[in-house]
Amino acid sequence: MTTSPGKMNEPVVRVQNLAIAYETHSGDVNAVRDVSFEIHRGETLGLVGESGCGKSTVAYGLVNYLGRNGKIVHGEIIFQGESLVGRSPEELRKLRGDQIAMVYQDPMTSLNPVLRVGQQMTEVLTVHRGISVDEARTRCVEMLRRVYMPDPEAVMGRYPHQISGGQQQRVVIAMALLNNPALLVMDEPTTALDVTVEAAVLDLVADLRRDFDTAILFISHNLGVVARVSSRVGVMYAGEMVEQAPVREIFAHPRHPYTQGLMRCVPRLGADKAGSVLYPIRGRVPAPDRLPPGCVFEPRCDYATEHCRQERPALRQISNRHMVSCLRAEHIRASEWQPTEDIIPLMPAADAAEPETILNVDGLRTYYKQSSGSPLDLIGLGKKRYVRAVDGVSFTIPQGKTLGVVGESGCGKSTLIKTLIGLEPMTGGAAQFLGFDLEKKASKRDMGLIRELQMVFQNPDATMNPSYSVGTQIERPLRRFKVVPPNQIHAEVVRLLRAVKLDEHYYDRRPRQLSGGEKQRVGIARAFAGRPDLVLCDEPVSALDVSVQAAVLNLLLEIQREQGTTMIFIAHDLSVVRFFSDYVAVMYLGQIVEIGPAEAIYAPPYHPYTESLLAAVPIPDPSVAQQHIRLEGSVPSPLNPPSGCRFHTRCPRRQLLPDGGAICEREVPPMQDAGDGHQIHCHIPLETLHDLEPVVQIAA
Amino acid sequence: MAVIEQPATLSAPARPSVWGKVTAVLALLGRSRVAIAGLILVGFWVVMASFADDCIIRPACWMGDSEAVSTPWLARYSPFEQFRGRNLEGPSADHWLGTDRNGRDLWARIVHGSRIILVLAPISVLIALAIGGTLGLIAGYFGGQIDEVLMRVLDALMAFPQILLYLIIIAALGPSAVNVVLAITIAGAPGIARLVRSLTLDIKTRDYVAAAQTRGESPWYIMFVEILPNARGPIIIDAMLRVGYAVFAIGTLGFLGLGLPPPSPDWGSIVNAGRKFIQAGHPWDALWASLSIASLVVGLNLLADGLSEELGRYR
Repeated sequence: MTTSPGKMNEPVVRVQNLAIAYETHSGDVNAVRDVSFEIHRGETLGLVGESGCGKSTVAYGLVNYLGRNGKIVHGEIIFQGESLVGRSPEELRKLRGDQIAMVYQDPMTSLNPVLRVGQQMTEVLTVHRGISVDEARTRCVEMLRRVYMPDPEAVMGRYPHQISGGQQQRVVIAMALLNNPALLVMDEPTTALDVTVEAAVLDLVADLRRDFDTAILFISHNLGVVARVSSRVGVMYAGEMVEQAPVREIFAHPRHPYTQGLMRCVPRLGADKAGSVLYPIRGRVPAPDRLPPGCVFEPRCDYATEHCRQERPALRQISNRHMVSCLRAEHIRASEWQPTEDIIPLMPAADAAEPETILNVDGLRTYYKQSSGSPLDLIGLGKKRYVRAVDGVSFTIPQGKTLGVVGESGCGKSTLIKTLIGLEPMTGGAAQFLGFDLEKKASKRDMGLIRELQMVFQNPDATMNPSYSVGTQIERPLRRFKVVPPNQIHAEVVRLLRAVKLDEHYYDRRPRQLSGGEKQRVGIARAFAGRPDLVLCDEPVSALDVSVQAAVLNLLLEIQREQGTTMIFIAHDLSVVRFFSDYVAVMYLGQIVEIGPAEAIYAPPYHPYTESLLAAVPIPDPSVAQQHIRLEGSVPSPLNPPSGCRFHTRCPRRQLLPDGGAICEREVPPMQDAGDGHQIHCHIPLETLHDLEPVVQIAA
Repeated sequence: MAVIEQPATLSAPARPSVWGKVTAVLALLGRSRVAIAGLILVGFWVVMASFADDCIIRPACWMGDSEAVSTPWLARYSPFEQFRGRNLEGPSADHWLGTDRNGRDLWARIVHGSRIILVLAPISVLIALAIGGTLGLIAGYFGGQIDEVLMRVLDALMAFPQILLYLIIIAALGPSAVNVVLAITIAGAPGIARLVRSLTLDIKTRDYVAAAQTRGESPWYIMFVEILPNARGPIIIDAMLRVGYAVFAIGTLGFLGLGLPPPSPDWGSIVNAGRKFIQAGHPWDALWASLSIASLVVGLNLLADGLSEELGRYR
C-alpha cells in the first residue's frame, strides 16, 4: 500500500501551522489551530476524527472556500511551491478548477439535476481548457471508462437521477479528474453510500492514486475507510492534529491516547466475538470556544497528569515519520490498557434453560400500493402495483435474546420493524407476540400489548419533541401505561435518567441543549419507561459519533440485562451487531436470505450475499486480509423483484452451479439447514458453501 | 460545511417563567431593526387604544354600558362630541388633526377607531386560526380521502375573490361588528388551513410522532400536543401578517359602508365620509384615517418580517 514519498523532492501541498476561525455572535471561534501536514504526489493523506474536530474546515481552508464568516487567521499553505494564503478570489477560483478538485459527501447535490451527465462533464473541459465539444466528449467517455463506469456512452446521455448513487459518485470523481488535478480533496465521499457501494468506490480511489499519481486528501470519520485507502493518516481532535503516521504504523502502534481510544470504540470484524467488544471514550469533544487550558484531550484521557492540565503539547516527531502531540506518548502502551470498570459492557448472562419464544413471525408481508402513473388512476381504474418492502419473512426470538437484522438500504429491514410495532399495516402473514396478534395498527391495539412493545429510533435529532423538556417526555409513557402511582412519577423519571447515565439536572433540559448521544439516551429511557418485553431498535447509533456509539450500545445491553428485555436491532453493516446479537438475520430485497446464531453467520458456510457484505465492511486494521468480492449494480426495485432467487442478478457465486446458475433465475432457492437453527436460502449445496474461504483472515 | 456547534447551556435553567419568555421574545425582536420599527408603530396604536379614555379603569365601560360617560385621556375629547360651528376645520392647537363635517374632533375619532380595529382584527384572526388550524391538522395528519375532501372544499372557498366573499356575507347578514369578524374568519381560514396542513405533513414524519403512535396515543393528542407546538413559529408569523390584512379588510368594509354602522368611529367609514370633502379643500378626514390604516398594517408587516428573519437565522 505505502509508496515512499520521501524520495519525491517537493510536496504537492504543504500546510504549516494553519489556524482557521469562524466569526460568530460571540466573537471569533477557532475551529482549527496549528495544523501542519504535507502531501506528495501519489500519496493519500487520510484525515480522521469525530464530527466538530475541524477536518472539513481544513479541506475548505485549503481552497479558501470557508464561507462569509470563515477566515484563515494564521499559517501558510504552499501549493506547488506557491503560497495560497492571501490570493484573490478570482485566482483561487481558477486554481480550484484547474489544479485542485474536490469531491463532496452527497453526489446528488454535487451534480446539477437538470443537466445531462455528459453536458456537465464536457463543460469542465470546454470552460477551463477551451477544448472543442467533440473532443471533450471523447475525453469524458474515456474518463468514465477509467472510473469503471459500466456503459459510459449511455451514461453520458442520462440525467443524474437516472443512475445509482454509486455511479453518481463515480461521475463526480471522473469530473474531478478531467483536468488532471495535482490535488484531489475528498470530503467523506462514501458516507452517503451503502457498504457494498462504498467498497467499490474505495477500490476506485485506491486505483486512482496509483494510475494518476495525484495527491489526495481523504477525509472520513470512519477509521475502516481511511485504513483502506490512505498511505498516511492524520488524526484530528478538537481542531488540532494529534497524531500523524503511515497507515500501518498508526494502526499497529497508535501513540496518542485519543487514537487508541478511537480504535477501541469501533468494531473490528477481524477479531473473534470477544475482540469486537467496544469501549467508549468518556465525555465528549469540547466546543471550540471552551477548550481546556492544557492538552485538548486531557479531560477525557486515562493517562492525564497534572502536567497535561497545564501545558499544551505540540506535535513532535517520536520516530521516523510518526508524529504525535502527547507529552506522555513514550510512556503509554496501548497493549497494557485496561478498561476502567464503568465502561466494560455487562453482557447478558447466558441462560442454561431454553427460554420461551416471545415473538413468532410467520410469512410476514408488507406491501405499499403504488399507482402506475397512467391517467386511468385518476378514476381509480389504473393498474395497481405493489412495492414489496417485506415479502414473506419468518423468524422467532426467544425471550431475553437479541436478533440483529442487517442489509443494504432498501432491503426492508426498517419496514419489518415498523410493521411489527404497528406503524405500517400488515399485508399478509402473521406475527404473534406474548399471545397477542400483531395484525392491527398501533392506534387500534390493546394497551397491554402497546406497553410491552416499544421502539428506539434512528435519528437523534428527531427522536425527541423539541417543544418539551426531557422530564415531560419521559413522564408521558409512565402516565400513559400507569407504571407507577402518580405521586412517584417524578422519582421514577429520575431513576430512569440515572439508568441511562444522565443525572437529575437533565429533567428540565430542552432537547436542543443536549448532544446527539444524550438525546439518544433519553429516547432509550422513554422506550424502556413502560418496562416493555420487546424493544425494536432502528439503527439507534448509526448517526452518532464513534466514541458515543459504543457508550450507547453498552447502555442498551446493560438495561437489557437488568430487565430481561428482548431486542431486535437493525444495523446496516455486519460489524456492529456482532458482539451483542444472539441471532443475526441478513435481509435482501424484502426477504431473509440467511438467519442463525451470531457466531455461525460470520464463518462459512454463508449465503453469497452475506459473504459480499462481509467483504465490503471496511476494517480499521490494514493487517487484516479481506477477500475481494464486490457486488455489481444496486439493489433491484422491490416493485418488480427478480424471479427465482432475488439475488441472482448480482450474485458473485452463481458460476459455482452447473449452467452458470440457470436454476437461480427459475426457482426460488430452498431453505438449507446448516444445523443449530442456521438457515441459508440458496441453491448452492451447503458443502460447497462450507468450503469457501473465510472472508476475513487475520494475518499471522 | 463545518458547523460550529452552539455550546449547550450547561447551567441548567429552572423552568422558564412567563416573564422570562417575554424578555426572551423581546430580546429576539431587539436584534432586528425592522422588528423594532414595527414594534414602535404597532405599540403606538396599542397605547393609544388602551388609554384613549379612562375606560381601562372602569369596568362599567367594558360591560358596554353606553350611558356611562367616560373621561377622555389621550383622545382629549369624546369621539361623538360635536363642536358647534367648528366643522370642517384644518389642524389647530385645539383640534390637533382638525374636525369633520359634524364638528367632531378627528384625533378623538381616529384614536377611538384604533380601539375598534385592534379588537376586531386579532379576534377574527384568532378564530380563523382555531378553525383553519384544526382543519389543516386534520387534513395533514389523516391524509387520504379526508385530506382530499377537506382541501377541495377549502380550495373552492379560496377560489372566490376575498372582497366578494366579504360582500356576500355582510350583505346577507347585515353590517355589525360580529358579522365583520365572521366574514374575515371565513375568508381567512382556508389559507391558514393550507399552511398548517403543509407543516403537519412535514412534522408528522418525525420520529417523535412515531414514538407517540407506538405509545398508542390518540390522533387528537398527537395533533395538538406533539405536532402543533412545533409548527408554532411559521403560524405566529403568518398570523401577524393576517392581522395586518384583517385591519385592511375592516377598513375596506368600512369604506364600502359595510363596516360598523355610524356613528362609530370606524377608520374605513371616516375615509369614506371624508372622501367627499377632498376636492372641497378639506382632505384631513381621509388623509388621517388612511395614514392610520397604513401605519398599522405596515407596522404589523415589519414586525412579522423581523421576527421571521430572526427566527430563520437560528433555525
